Amino acid sequence: MSRELDQGTKVGNVLGPTQFVIWCLGISLEATVVVCAILRGSFRRYIFLNLYMAATLLVEIGRFKILKHFGYSAPEFTYFYFYSDALLTILLYFALISLYTVVFDEMKAEKYVRFGAVLLLAGTSLFTYAVVHQSSAKILTHFVFELCQNLYFVGLVLTFVLWGAVLKLRETRTRVIQFVLSLGVYFSAFAVTYALRNLFPHFQTPYLAQAIGFFLPFAWVYTFWRVPEEARLAPSRVTVVPR
Amino acid sequence: MSRYLAVVVLVMLVLVGAMGLKNVVTAHSDGSPVMANGTGPVPNPPYMANGTGPVPNPPYRGNGTGPVPNPPYRANGTGPVPNPPYKVSGTGSIL
Repeated sequence: MSRELDQGTKVGNVLGPTQFVIWCLGISLEATVVVCAILRGSFRRYIFLNLYMAATLLVEIGRFKILKHFGYSAPEFTYFYFYSDALLTILLYFALISLYTVVFDEMKAEKYVRFGAVLLLAGTSLFTYAVVHQSSAKILTHFVFELCQNLYFVGLVLTFVLWGAVLKLRETRTRVIQFVLSLGVYFSAFAVTYALRNLFPHFQTPYLAQAIGFFLPFAWVYTFWRVPEEARLAPSRVTVVPR
Repeated sequence: MSRYLAVVVLVMLVLVGAMGLKNVVTAHSDGSPVMANGTGPVPNPPYMANGTGPVPNPPYRGNGTGPVPNPPYRANGTGPVPNPPYKVSGTGSIL
């Protein structure tokens, strides 16, 4: 039995070449986002977006080192993966909130946005704790995993609320619109593929999740590099129906 | 004060909407992670990976290196499937 498990562990510890290539490309793109933001002088303006991407880059490198040292199916990799993922999700949440402060900048509503953000994070944490507190063991790990999942869905809803605000307030800054839309596509794509995979278990998408993870840094690289800060769009003209 | 109350109401609405959406999306969930930051491979959640009971072989050991493997309790065979470790004493649903 132990011999079979050892064989299985050996097989499980090996990454496929496609996964490896996508992972390396993703890490390169994440580094490119930070470099582009610095070169274009936008690092401090979108500090939370850049911090999130820089943290993702560091975490990915850490994951790579741990996976190389311990293997894919090792508990060390699993624990590091999910605890770091929770931190990244919280950072992504604050990056999204920073976009709220940018959009609501002219309304002087920054303190309300901050209050709401902290309250929502606390509410999500409390809800998560209420769900997992009956777990018999590993409650902290379970809590971290659930909080990560719940924050993901909170982020999904917040992104669409922000998109509604962008349309309502007639936000015209192209970069802000690009960031909001890229986050909307990113969150929605994960939700849709996850729902499809659960509804149709035979629907095999082995590398789709990784490819979607590739999308966000790609969109941000494009935005920082090709879209100048002064660029303006008018999304409301497209969507508002004349009465 | 009324603005703060409006913020509280909005926060509650977002929270309810997000959890409702989560229930819809994960209605037939197998417990695997919904998303991940970055492009690396996604392991099973730790509380599923490290049980104390007789857990069948996880599928990622037999079926290659797909980024989001199925949890162990739905893996192989037609025999009786043990409860996952986090459901042994609790009744709360997960994902």
